[in-house]
Amino acid sequence: MFSVLIDQFWSLTIAGVALGFIYVLVSLGYTMVYGVLRMINFANSEIFMWGTFGTIVTSRDIFGYTQTSAPATGGKLALVLISQLLMSMAVAGVTAIFVEYVAYRRLRAKGTNRLATLISAIGISIVLSELMRLLTDSRPVGSPRVLEKIILTEVWGANIRLDTVVTIFAAALIYFLLERFVKLSRMGKAIRAVSMNEDAAKLMGVNLNRVITTTFLVGGLATGAAGFFYITVFEYTKFNIGFTMGMAAFTAAVLGGIGNIRGAFFGGLFLGLLEVYASAVLGTQWKAVTVFIVLVLVLLFKPNGLFGEAVQTTRA
Amino acid sequence: MNKKIQRSLAVVSAAALVFGVAAAQTSANAAPKTVYIAYQGPLSGGEASTGTDEQNAVKYAIKLFNAKNKATYNVKLVSIDDQGDPAVAGTVAPGIGKNKNILGVVGPAYSGATIASLPFYKAGGLVLISPSATRVSLTDSASPDFGGPVFHRVVGKDDLQGPALAKYATAGITNPKVFIFDDQSSYAVPLAGYVTGGLKKIAGATVVGTDSVPNTTTDFSPTIAKIATSKADVVIYTGYYSQAAVFIKQLRDSGSKAIFAGGDGVFNQEFPKLAGASAEGSRVTGVGGLAGVSEALEKDYKAKMGVSSGVYSVESLDAANILLQGIAKGNTTRAKMLAWVKAYNGKSITGNTIKFSANGDISYGLFAGFTTKNGVLVNTGIVK
Repeated sequence: MFSVLIDQFWSLTIAGVALGFIYVLVSLGYTMVYGVLRMINFANSEIFMWGTFGTIVTSRDIFGYTQTSAPATGGKLALVLISQLLMSMAVAGVTAIFVEYVAYRRLRAKGTNRLATLISAIGISIVLSELMRLLTDSRPVGSPRVLEKIILTEVWGANIRLDTVVTIFAAALIYFLLERFVKLSRMGKAIRAVSMNEDAAKLMGVNLNRVITTTFLVGGLATGAAGFFYITVFEYTKFNIGFTMGMAAFTAAVLGGIGNIRGAFFGGLFLGLLEVYASAVLGTQWKAVTVFIVLVLVLLFKPNGLFGEAVQTTRA
Repeated sequence: MNKKIQRSLAVVSAAALVFGVAAAQTSANAAPKTVYIAYQGPLSGGEASTGTDEQNAVKYAIKLFNAKNKATYNVKLVSIDDQGDPAVAGTVAPGIGKNKNILGVVGPAYSGATIASLPFYKAGGLVLISPSATRVSLTDSASPDFGGPVFHRVVGKDDLQGPALAKYATAGITNPKVFIFDDQSSYAVPLAGYVTGGLKKIAGATVVGTDSVPNTTTDFSPTIAKIATSKADVVIYTGYYSQAAVFIKQLRDSGSKAIFAGGDGVFNQEFPKLAGASAEGSRVTGVGGLAGVSEALEKDYKAKMGVSSGVYSVESLDAANILLQGIAKGNTTRAKMLAWVKAYNGKSITGNTIKFSANGDISYGLFAGFTTKNGVLVNTGIVK
């Protein structure tokens, strides 16, 4: 039973960390919005899905890569990858702002109850996924290979592959930049102020609407970056992939403590590793069972997740 | 959430169908007599290409029939879109079951959708001839899924496909070490069982590992780790093509050179398109197009339909022909049509004899082996 884990420990660990970092970035989309609004952005999963399509459209339609063309090299490689990343983040960021305007802003201004915005967010999420279903004729879409998956080296019997290395380092960098932004920038401080006390922040002259839009944007950018890494590693997307990813990332956010940026980080990595280890040891059919048993156990002992709640607890 | 919207849309379109058919019936009193048969399968959604290929073959059969019987009959096709999804099938089937203008159905294409539709068709006494529903329980009178007396099929069951897949996957390898995994669907899990059964009859073959992966998985690294540990040289997946494409890319990227094989769920030209170079050499069992029967037939099909024949076109054509021959013989009520199919004894376009057993099965099952070459699944002949 454990022979796979022993034999393939480092391969599994690297795969789990790469997957974990993708979860981290999508979790940020949930956690940022929750930290400020105390509401779950149910459309975040579809924001992710739109980001993956942004990535593919960039390489396939803008740079003209096909399933049979050779992977890019050198400067061209960097150009295509960075364009893909920026496009995915842009698509997701714009979608996130759109969601905020349509599903949240007006309802918030009218002072409706929380359930109304919950439903409007679910509504937007259905619109986004159905729209993509119609655009793609319900078919899965494969991504052309831009980054050749070269095996860089072998460490303790595990292949270290270029795409996983790029994903782990770049995703960690993006997480780090976002965390710094929230901690140190003026806008980041405003976000944390609103998260702590909305009314007090308003009295201090914080522009509430701008802060909320920025929060959605930041969450969307992180989620969009995740879309890019997802495509780079898995080279596949479909109109309905958001659901599984959204479920996993939301679980990661709750595991770490929703509303807490550092919680999203550790929750995402923990979940990524837990999933691959559980699948390898018990069989993939036990993955979801194991994950949710662990989640329930964590919540039994730490009801606010591993790192507690709220954006403001990320001390400056 | 998605499902709900799809379901209500399906109800609306089913209603439109029923009324549309009824309206057409009253306005067509003059000779030739207008009669309706239906095709049921996925015409939209992720599996739409299978349904479209099948329905085209039915349309082709009807075209030939109407040209030949211009003076007496005008057969029209009713399209029933169940998206291959049992939930959708359960909402469209009641209307079809009640609409007595429809004499018989080619389909449903998928086993799950068939099971969901069956109660309504049994109640309506509507005869079904499926070109592609291969689940064993459909013709097992001890099973709750049993489709008798209305269900028939002109395709070999999965208990014939499993051994064929086992044979084709391991061909040319001495003492093959096989890793089998499924996608947890009600199609894939039993098929994996029949493949395992088939492997027992292959000399030297051993099953060195198994897994069961939800069909929403995109990260296959745990499965690939198990394959590496098991040192398997053949990997058999019994799920569908879109997942197979994601998996095979990851398997090849991990450096594994094991042979990859799949059943008719993987048998779709989208598979090599999605997987690119990683799909090269993959072995897939499925059913051939018309070209495997005769080049002239394929040419005529292409000329009349504007597209090449696709998956299950032989079976769809056979199924449609049984119903059409029944109409030509004047069996224009459901009861007569059911009796006609039950007593049918004729030839498939492949030359095999079609005669249904009491439970609705035919006696032969033909599975062809396909190998991916230069991005296309190429027919390498019937697996023997």
